[in-house]
Amino acid sequence: MLKINKSSFNDFLSDVMRYNELVAPVMTDESRFETIKDVSAIHLDLHTYFPVKHFFFKKRQTLMSFDKGKVSVPELQPEKKQRVMLGLKRCDLNSIKRQDLMFMKETEDPYYTEERERTVLIGYHCKEPFDEYCFCSSMDLGDYYDLMLYEKEDAYLVEIGSEKGRSFVDRYRKYFWDTDLFLTPEDRRMETDLKLEKRDIAAYYNSPDWKKGVDICFSCAACVTLCPSCYCFDLYDEIDSKLSKVERKRNWASCQLTCFTKVAGGHVFRDSREDRFKHRIYHQLQYFREKHGMNLCTGCGRCIRGCPTRINFVNILNDMKD
Amino acid sequence: MPRTKTRTDEPGGKMRNPYLPQPAKITLYRRESSDCFLIRLALKSHYDPGQFFQVTLPGIGEAPISVASCSDDHLDLNIREVGNVTKALADLKKGDSLYVRGPCGKGYPMDRFFGKNLVLIGGGSGVAPLKGILAYVDKHRNDFGDVMIYFGFRTPEDILFKDDMKQWKKNYLLNLSVDKNPKKASISCDVCFITNLLDKAKLNPENKIVFICGPPMMMKITIDILKSKGFKEDQMYISTERLMNCALGVCGHCMIHGKYTCLDGPVFRYDEISKYKND
Repeated sequence: MLKINKSSFNDFLSDVMRYNELVAPVMTDESRFETIKDVSAIHLDLHTYFPVKHFFFKKRQTLMSFDKGKVSVPELQPEKKQRVMLGLKRCDLNSIKRQDLMFMKETEDPYYTEERERTVLIGYHCKEPFDEYCFCSSMDLGDYYDLMLYEKEDAYLVEIGSEKGRSFVDRYRKYFWDTDLFLTPEDRRMETDLKLEKRDIAAYYNSPDWKKGVDICFSCAACVTLCPSCYCFDLYDEIDSKLSKVERKRNWASCQLTCFTKVAGGHVFRDSREDRFKHRIYHQLQYFREKHGMNLCTGCGRCIRGCPTRINFVNILNDMKD
Repeated sequence: MPRTKTRTDEPGGKMRNPYLPQPAKITLYRRESSDCFLIRLALKSHYDPGQFFQVTLPGIGEAPISVASCSDDHLDLNIREVGNVTKALADLKKGDSLYVRGPCGKGYPMDRFFGKNLVLIGGGSGVAPLKGILAYVDKHRNDFGDVMIYFGFRTPEDILFKDDMKQWKKNYLLNLSVDKNPKKASISCDVCFITNLLDKAKLNPENKIVFICGPPMMMKITIDILKSKGFKEDQMYISTERLMNCALGVCGHCMIHGKYTCLDGPVFRYDEISKYKND
């Protein structure tokens, strides 16, 4: 087993920062992942309010431009620095797995892939749930990381999850020590208080209890914006002020807004708030699983934490009678 | 200057960019009705009837348009002016260029219907994808039995593909109706909803496959009528409309419960989606 001593951890990070872009959780106005300028700002154990998806699946991305009858694609920059993302929680890592599935397997998205391939994912195991909205221990999360850190005594024990992780360790070998310490089941344990108890929610589609959430939902879309897994988007064209150059862009989109299913002519397929509300939950917990064998939801709790009325769909589902 | 290269210049095309459209030239532009027009594009591409292409007009956007032809060297698109992109496309003319991406989605699995009798039921611009089927049947006439057509339009002026109609009347069993005839034009078709014609028709389900495309209400009534005549859901193929952005099965707009209209559809065998309410 490998370990990094806590005493040399900041030296290690400073060394990493010399040749890499280091991204880690910080606390500014809110908690979020940011590119680090000063290692002392890092809060390794912070479960961030905002997800990390925008590093790969950008909020706004130019896909191509049309200029005088020519289509061109933004330039790749092969010499772009490697990015090291530190302090990802198990829910974050599993969300990245789901987005990888959509943007690198279901489709081959060059924009996402470019950002993803230059990134090393270093996880951090939560010992305790961050707050009462975490429910990851009921979501069957898997291992998906390049390296995973477990805090133990005066060190971080390191698990290697990929070739990328292995070659990263080789590069910074002087900070990694062999140790007799090992991970016990207790070290790996993660138990949240909130748990989604229902495995299959298909039978509850017509339950009257959805009203408990629907009636206090503003359709504000905070839930999907904060969701680390949600991957839906819009494509649209933008013309410059001289009306000569056009850029086709991709923006995050939300299934909670009526415009999401509005077709030319004005018809909206999911016009009722209830249909939109349930669409999100069923996409997260049923449709995605039917196709890919895993829930889209990873139990990070951000959609509940960030909801203006704290709609707790986990409790709503748990309380539904058979 | 940092060394940069464009993705399209990658040696060996390292990664295909699924968002990139290709240019295509308009070789024919024909006004079909007050709000519909047909454009033919010179395009070497193999597609099935029922599939669609994403059509780009730079600066306006991209819109999914179903194919109304069956050919390896051209593509006919019948377009109804109803949104931003389609209204702007109407201003193009022969010789102009636009961009297309496709073919997308699943079309009608025509080779599975060899030996069957076909029933085509279309309303308004929903006739366009069915025209693709007829073009396919024209090419493989001996592989199919009887072909019955039920096409309905709002008024005589709205009737699409008038020249083709003459051919279809000769070759197939064509039933045509208009909802109303306000200008009292002299016409040789019924004035009623197409569903009324269908209701009165002596139609048995034996060895038949039905294709339905039209406005949602017309499709719903049609399906009810067919069921009352003994047709099973797995004999019916419907073509669905949804908002589509990526046409790659990712962006999510076109989801009907767990299915992506752009990947699993737009053509569905009705029993695949009949249990879902229309959301």
